[in-house]
Amino acid sequence: MAVIEVSGAVKAYRRRGREQRALDGLNLIVDEGGVHGFLGPNGSGKTTTIRVLLGLVRSDEGTSRLLGQPVPERLPDVIGGVGALVETPLFFPNFSGRLNLQLLAETAGLQRTRVEECLEIVGLSDRAEDAFKGYSLGMKQRLGIAAALLKRPRLLILDEPSNGLDPGGIRDVRELIRGLGAKGECTVFLSSHLLAEVEQVCDHVSILARGRCVASGAVRDVLASRSNGDVRVRIADPLAARDVILGGGYQVTVEQDQLRVHAVPAPAELTKLLADHGHYLQELTPVAADLESAFLALTEGTP
Amino acid sequence: MNLIRAEIHRLRSRRFLWGIVGVAALAFVLGGSIAAGKHSKLTAADLARGQEQAQAALTQQQEFYDQCVAQQPAGQPVEQACQKADPSLFRGEDFATQRAFVLARQLPDGTVGVGVLTAAALFLLGATWIGAEWSTRSLVALLFWEPRRIKVLLTKLGVLLVAAAALAVVTQAVWFGVANLLASTRGTRDNLPPHFYADIVRAEGRVVLFGALLSGLGFALANLLRNTGAALGVAALYLAVLENVVRVLRPSWVEWLFTSNAAALVSRTPVHLQVGGRGNQPSHEIVLSHLHGGLYLTGLVAGLLALGGVLFARRDLQ
Repeated sequence: MAVIEVSGAVKAYRRRGREQRALDGLNLIVDEGGVHGFLGPNGSGKTTTIRVLLGLVRSDEGTSRLLGQPVPERLPDVIGGVGALVETPLFFPNFSGRLNLQLLAETAGLQRTRVEECLEIVGLSDRAEDAFKGYSLGMKQRLGIAAALLKRPRLLILDEPSNGLDPGGIRDVRELIRGLGAKGECTVFLSSHLLAEVEQVCDHVSILARGRCVASGAVRDVLASRSNGDVRVRIADPLAARDVILGGGYQVTVEQDQLRVHAVPAPAELTKLLADHGHYLQELTPVAADLESAFLALTEGTP
Repeated sequence: MNLIRAEIHRLRSRRFLWGIVGVAALAFVLGGSIAAGKHSKLTAADLARGQEQAQAALTQQQEFYDQCVAQQPAGQPVEQACQKADPSLFRGEDFATQRAFVLARQLPDGTVGVGVLTAAALFLLGATWIGAEWSTRSLVALLFWEPRRIKVLLTKLGVLLVAAAALAVVTQAVWFGVANLLASTRGTRDNLPPHFYADIVRAEGRVVLFGALLSGLGFALANLLRNTGAALGVAALYLAVLENVVRVLRPSWVEWLFTSNAAALVSRTPVHLQVGGRGNQPSHEIVLSHLHGGLYLTGLVAGLLALGGVLFARRDLQ
């Protein structure tokens, strides 16, 4: 079942008399379970998409569904199953962290014990009585995540949750997100411009550029789709082997003590070619595309 | 119901609310203490001296009136030129050296005074209540929990209006108690006019309504402008500049000014306004009743709230 479905979403803003499309026919499907990364450069439309899903912004065209229900029409029916942290956490600065969470919990009729549980999850129990305005950026972000978790959501939407966190905080948040996805308690929709974060945490990814989804699927499939078929070969006599490979019609580059053979459709044939000429492989490794190169290739030209 | 409960908790947790309550309590303690020091029960001798002086002043006023009437040309109406003395204004208590706290006079005056001060504080409460939500954008966060925007807005407004009315009732009750205590110990509760307490209750009802409406006005302005400071600035600009400009340039519009209608609602008697009289135009008097003032203010607040509600429901939120 899809927890998020966006079809043909268009959202245009007029700035200085010119129309700018934040979303330009966006199609997006997020299936239930795991952690789904929503990756795109700044200004690509990630936050606008989330705002459309949460009913804060109306799209000019297209349809959106959350947990199977059309939004914003049926948003009140499904909002109880959706937790969200959009950009910076929005709390009363003079209220304590605990009071801010209690007020939200009361809105949804949740028990106070759930507030304590969430404070514990994000490691803020010791500072829960401090005023929100006295929190560091990282603590504010963690309180925002705690608020998003209060409802025990089926779908957790996190927009740039690592913003402002120190390296330790980033690691903690990533572990938290990974844990939530692994436990199967909820589907995490993680919007981020940090490639490493998405690569480390997410099972699936959708890549956004200029208001459109340019790639979507399991992370490994997206990477595979960007693979160019190169293989890296380690061999006892690389220079002699290079001549054999060139003779076989392949393109090859010498990289220190190994060879990189380009566009190899069937690595087994390369293995056979070398063996037939008395060169036995020590190692043959497909060169996988990393998310960074896939991302840059897909979003090339993004302002 | 959960949302109402949460909003009540949110309002109770605001320091501004308790600041207002503290200031009001302090004002009653200080004001009561000063009044207690300033007033005292009249002795029979004080009263007798006061009555003699009052009678002398009344006689003198009547003589002035008689002289004025005698000097008027024949056929001229004397009512406009000469003021007849009103014996009810020449009371012995007022002329006594020692001043007594006279319940019949000071309770009604204080009811209006306390009501207007309370209403000003409630305007601030209403403006900060929603203005703080906009400046922290916690109103947007609340929509992740209750996405029906109008429901959120109406709940906040409802909680505010009930709280504002309750605060206004409490300040009136405290004033009523303080005034009676002062009259008992430092003055007199005698000579109350007919229907005195019924009139007091009506006046209290009007100032409580005024307080609730002003809290709604503060809420409506801050919601429209999405900022407490801007709402206060607009209100100050209107009162300090726009009203005075209208009074000078368009005196016939005076019956539609906020302060005219506010005065009509809270004052003990209907407000009489002289309208027109510029150039060759004759002036005429209009009377603004309590009902006129109440309906005008209710309409103004309801209109601003409705406009803010429509914009809140339709606009994109960032």
